[in-house]
Order: sequence, then structure tokens, then C-alpha cells
Amino acid sequence: MDKNYILHKYLNGNASPEELQLLKESPEYAGYFKIAAASENLDTPVFNKEGNFEHLTAKIDQSSKVRKISFVKSFVRIAAMVTILLGGYYFFFSGNTTVKTDVAHKESFSLPDKSEVVLNAQSEIFYDQKNWEKKRSLNLKGEAYFKVEKGEKFSVITPQGTVSVLGTQFNVFARDSTFVVKCFEGLVRVAFNDTLVNVPFGNVLEIRNNELIMKTELHQDSPNWVLNESRFQNASLATVLAELKRQYPVNITAPNVGDKKFTGAFTHTDLKVALRSICDPLKLDFTINGDEINLYAKQGK
Amino acid sequence: MSELENVCKKEHFNKVYNDHSQAIWRFIYFKCGDQAQADDLVQESYVKLWQNCAKVSASKAKSYLYTVANNLFLNEVAHKKVVLQHANSKKKTFNNQSPEYLLEEKEFYEKLQAAIANLSETQRTPFLLNRIEGKKYSEIAEILGISVKAVEKRMSQALAILRKEIGNI
Repeated sequence: MDKNYILHKYLNGNASPEELQLLKESPEYAGYFKIAAASENLDTPVFNKEGNFEHLTAKIDQSSKVRKISFVKSFVRIAAMVTILLGGYYFFFSGNTTVKTDVAHKESFSLPDKSEVVLNAQSEIFYDQKNWEKKRSLNLKGEAYFKVEKGEKFSVITPQGTVSVLGTQFNVFARDSTFVVKCFEGLVRVAFNDTLVNVPFGNVLEIRNNELIMKTELHQDSPNWVLNESRFQNASLATVLAELKRQYPVNITAPNVGDKKFTGAFTHTDLKVALRSICDPLKLDFTINGDEINLYAKQGK
Repeated sequence: MSELENVCKKEHFNKVYNDHSQAIWRFIYFKCGDQAQADDLVQESYVKLWQNCAKVSASKAKSYLYTVANNLFLNEVAHKKVVLQHANSKKKTFNNQSPEYLLEEKEFYEKLQAAIANLSETQRTPFLLNRIEGKKYSEIAEILGISVKAVEKRMSQALAILRKEIGNI
């Protein structure tokens, strides 16, 4: 066996007597063994345990006096830092975020989770930016189109009802007593009073005067108003004019036109073209006087 | 004393002092050979332990002390020769030997002590930790922060130098 290995085994206190005998056969290793064995009998001078402890206690008493002061100082420092950090945090991150649009105004923005929102004219959304990751929920008044990133439940709360989804594209119209949800992709769940309605993709849910109407009519990727166009199907003239007033900063008077139904669309970019596309099918005419628009029935022919 | 408790309580601190102060003192003495310096460094190490008591758990106190003592030692420049004494209590086996043999033994120990004193610090400390303190290679490796293989190498080197210095044994 390797003598060097036995030597280290012996030094670690693990060698057997036979192995030691083997080690002593070689003069070189016998010498190492003798040195190693003799060194065990050596000792250091005596350590004065008690005396050193007294010195040590004295040093600790001295240093702990200093330590107390620095402890208070560092406590004050930490407290000040925490105050500044907390203050800054609340200053920058607290409070709700509100997005609001006026007449003839559209707003397109992203939520903290990269979901996209397009807000139609005269509408308002507010949400808690700080807790968005925990709770995807926002409040809506008016009309907006959502492209929701996949993830936790996403809720749109309106005075009329709540719309919740997981990840999809949909439009919510919530004005006055009318509540319309159009689903462009995936599945949307609408809570209206105490009923839950699932709106699959390509469908429209309308609630007018507390009545639920479900329709299949969508052949689009996104609502028309996102493309600067308002489209109607058998809608009352009042509804159409209300939308027109939201898209253009004008006043409309239409005293003697009666209750007509309109099917069609108008653009958001040109007032004259828009008025023409509403009036012509309904056999109406109009005059523009600054911000004032007057609608009347076409004469004669 | 529980493993997780720190040494901020006076009684725990005192226990750590009673358990380890002597071993640390000898460890430093192997390195510097100066009793007064060893006293100072032991005291300094324990003061540091006390100041950082909240950060050091009872189970870590021992290795913390060794590390601090070693670092303090490295900061000091002057090293003296290590003077060891023959521990009389341990050599009863030699009592019945002839006067010549006893004389030879005495010469041998004198040579041995001189040779150990001449070893470099890196060789002497592991050698004496092993021989006098009876520590295993693994413990020495931990104290000095080196590998077991390095301890083995230094032990071999120390023995080779001692044998050469002492001459015909």
C-alpha cells in the first residue's frame, strides 16, 4: 500500500497498527512518524482564560456605549428613509387613472397588461392602475372597444351591467338606458341585474328599457366607430342624431321630421357627407349655420 | 443553547467564550508565536462577535471567530518565532529510559522545536492544529478556508522540512 496514504491516514488518526508497522519499515517514513508522534507532546504556553475574559468584558463595555448612540442614529436614518420611500411611492402610484373623451374625440390607449382600449366620443373610463395586476377591472360610462390580453378575469363595470371576459375583443355601449355588447372574438359574459348571459363571438347583446335582445349580425373585425364610421340598423332617428352630436360639436334641431327609422352609416370625418348620408334615405334636408344644424322634411317633388 | 439562537445573550456569549477561546488562542499562537498578540487577537475577535451578535447564530459563532481571528492576524505585520514547550504530562512512557536515552530525547525535542519555529506560517499552523490540537484534515481545511488536499500537501511539506532540519533520526 502507498506509504504516503498511510502516513496521512495516521495523521488523521485512522491508521491500524499493521499499517503503522508497514510505515516504520521505511527509514524515511519512520522519521516522519517519529516527528509526528513527538510533536503531539508539545504544547503552547498556557492561555490565561480568566484574565483575557476580564479584558474582553472591559472592551465590550466600552464599545457598547458607542454602539448605543450609533444604534439610535441608524434607527432615525432608517425611519427617515422609509418615510421618504413610502411618501414617494404613494405620491407616484396611488389614486385611480381616468381617461375621458369629449365630443368629436376618440382616445386609444393601453392598460398596464397591454390590453388595448379605444374610447369613443364623450365617454369615460377609470381604473386602479396600482392594483391592475391583481384585479383587472374598470368602470365605463359611454362606449369603448376592448382588445383584452389573455389572463385573469377582465371586468368592465357600467351602470347598466357588468361585462367580464378572459381574453377577447368586444365593444361596450352603455349610454342612458341602452346597453349594447358586441363580441368580435371569444366569449363575453354579461351580468345584467341578476341574469348572466354568455355572448359568443359574432353576436350582439342589446338591452333596451330592461329588455334583452340577442342578435347575430357581426361580420367585422372591430366596431365601425373605430374606423371613423357609425353604423345603424333600423335605429330611431333620435338615436342616430344623438350619436351624430357625439361625433361632431354641433347642435341639431329637427322639429317636424317625425319618428323615422334609419338603416345605414355616417362618417366621422366630414359633417356634410355625414348629414347627407342620414338625410337622403329619409327624404330630409338640412341647413348648416355655424354650429347650428336644422333638419326638415324635403319639399315637394 | 439552541442552534438558531444568536449570542447576544450574555450567558450564550460566555458559553461560546468558555468553549472556544482557548482553541482560538492556540490557533493564533501557532501562527504568530506571541502570547500578548494572541491575547489581543482573541479579545478583538470576541469583541467583534459581540458587536455582530445579532447576525451570527450560535452554530456559526465558532467558524466566525476563527475567520475574524485569522483576518486580524493577517493585518498585523510583526510575527515572532513560535516557542513551544514540552508538555511533561504527556510523556510518561519515557520515564523508565536510560540517562543516555533521556539526553537524546531532550536534544531531539530541542531540535524539533527549533525546526517547527522555522517552518513557514502556512505549514506550521496546519501541522500544529493536527498534532497538538488533534484536528482532522477536514476541520483544518474549514478553519483555514483551504481544501483538504491543500492541508495534506502542507502536512507533507512540513514533515519533509522537519525531517531534513532535524537530520539523522
